[in-house]
Amino acid sequence: MFGRTLRFALTLVAALLLLSCNRSKDGGATKIAVIPKGTTHEFWKAVHAGAVKASREIGVEIVWKGPLAEDDLKGQIDVVQSFVAQGVSGIVLAPLNDKALEKPVEGAVKANIPVVIFDSDLAGSAHKSFVATDNLAAGRLAGEKLAALLGQKGKIAVLRYQEGSASTQKREEGFLEAIRKMPEIKIVSDNQYGGATTESAFEKAESLLAAQSAGSGGVDGVFCPNESTTFGMLLALRKAGLAGKIKFVGFDASEKLVGALRDGHVDALVVQDPFKIGYEAVRAMAEILAGKPVAPRIDTGAVVVDKASLDKPETKAIVAPDLAPWLGK
Amino acid sequence: MKYLRKYPFLGPLVAVVVVYVIFAIVAPGSFTRAENLTTMAGQTVVVGIAASGMTLVMLLGGIDLSVGSNVALSTVVCALCMRAGAPAILAAAAAMASGLLSGLVNGALVTTLRITPFIVTLGTMRALRGLAKGLADEQKIDAPSSGLDALVAPLPPGYGWALFPPGVWIMLATSGLVAAMLVYTKGGRHIVAIGSNEATARLCGVRVERVKWLVYGLAGLFAGLAGVMEFSTLTVGDPTDSVGLELEVIAAVVIGGGSLAGGEGSVAGALFGALLMTVIRTGSTYLGIDNWVQDIVTGGIVVTAVALDRARRASETRR
Repeated sequence: MFGRTLRFALTLVAALLLLSCNRSKDGGATKIAVIPKGTTHEFWKAVHAGAVKASREIGVEIVWKGPLAEDDLKGQIDVVQSFVAQGVSGIVLAPLNDKALEKPVEGAVKANIPVVIFDSDLAGSAHKSFVATDNLAAGRLAGEKLAALLGQKGKIAVLRYQEGSASTQKREEGFLEAIRKMPEIKIVSDNQYGGATTESAFEKAESLLAAQSAGSGGVDGVFCPNESTTFGMLLALRKAGLAGKIKFVGFDASEKLVGALRDGHVDALVVQDPFKIGYEAVRAMAEILAGKPVAPRIDTGAVVVDKASLDKPETKAIVAPDLAPWLGK
Repeated sequence: MKYLRKYPFLGPLVAVVVVYVIFAIVAPGSFTRAENLTTMAGQTVVVGIAASGMTLVMLLGGIDLSVGSNVALSTVVCALCMRAGAPAILAAAAAMASGLLSGLVNGALVTTLRITPFIVTLGTMRALRGLAKGLADEQKIDAPSSGLDALVAPLPPGYGWALFPPGVWIMLATSGLVAAMLVYTKGGRHIVAIGSNEATARLCGVRVERVKWLVYGLAGLFAGLAGVMEFSTLTVGDPTDSVGLELEVIAAVVIGGGSLAGGEGSVAGALFGALLMTVIRTGSTYLGIDNWVQDIVTGGIVVTAVALDRARRASETRR
């Protein structure tokens, strides 16, 4: 019995050795690895679609692969290392942490694989370009909008996203900066973090609203810096019967959030252009691979959307781009 | 069959080879590059080291759900020490000490309160996670990695003779030591005896409580060492790291022939179990397989491995 098992194993090993001789490296087609922070948020689906559009226009192959869990830092590092070991032509990466991904990116560059960073910034200077929304400016836009909604006075709370996530921290910073310029607006809470999932954000939002006695006028306005915190806050506001009563400025646009904007449960959304982020990032990588120079910083812009501007065609193209032709779903 | 019983790690070894060959055939050619082998070995280190400790705990018939939190706590302790200017070796020692301490607490709770290990470690899983977040002030801790990052990083040019980064050798050494302890020392045989039949072991004069206490402590120590490896990968102390790692570690032990009922398990098998999951993950990345497919495949393999193992055992007893 064991003899058979052993023979089988030996055959496999022999086959394996043969294979490793034959298949040294596949040349030819340009293959770009695109690594998002996660794969389940709607935001990333639009980024994915943009990346696919760019890849089809230019004629390169992209591989879309994120960490298994939305916030799994080790998982993302593993994915980067695997692509480096695989020897792809280029890596486009949205780092989950601005420091921890520095070493893996240096490793890629050492292996002659150029890296473009998108969505969130990275420490160090190994990467060739950084493609993203100017988050500080976008946060300021949100702060100014909420201040205008409140008539420049009142009590506001911020539900932050996660420590170490550079993009959302910049938004929070920009928002608070704009708010602090208004002497009659008081920040009642700015140290609560919603965490990675809608679930965790919902729980945090609920306890935040309860702790500040939002039901009895303790909070006049809230701000959330990304999709999962905005949706979590929305659910908490609805559950507490406060949706529409408290001024609410969120970030990013999913179908559900746009629906809430129509219902008046969300007053305004600051919207980035995820489709453009994915598109521009892959384009930049293709230019680098073609030996052309690219700008070290590419801003993809942000706009404030409220109920009034929702149905304008230029907003629609950003808020609800048609993803079907690119993702085939 | 009798070889399989004597060397239970042969099953998972064959599984690793089969899966590797499948990916070598269907994935792009670079899958079989030497670089990929070392990368995969490096990515197995954390789970591999923690699995040594988990094998001991599961041999006892226990379980340790706090591994992931313990690893996260160790990365935080390690980063805090490094930030305070401690040399790498001292920071690593502190991280391992925090792991050992957490493990001893687990052991003390299990033996004195007489609550099932599942519940005890379910509790310490949350508690240690909280402690890590508190120590880290709910942030990731940036620290100079001064040398520790070389543990699992690809070897610098000129060191090719070492084949693998030092972390991989440390993993192999720990596994070797634990395996030797199980076979050649009285304590090792006591562990198996307790897991097979606790009452009999007690009657035979085995000091059950003390052995259990030490085993949980040892498992904690390994989690601490795994945390040092994790820190060397992350280069930051991350209190939210390794959520769900315990399940991966338990899966590795189970694939390697371990039993939740105690008395069975193999350190080498657990190592191959851990390697199997890395190979699947890496292969999926190479093929660009969607994450949800990868989750299903890994889940399916855990169940299949155990089912095959049970079938083998059933056929043995029938004989």
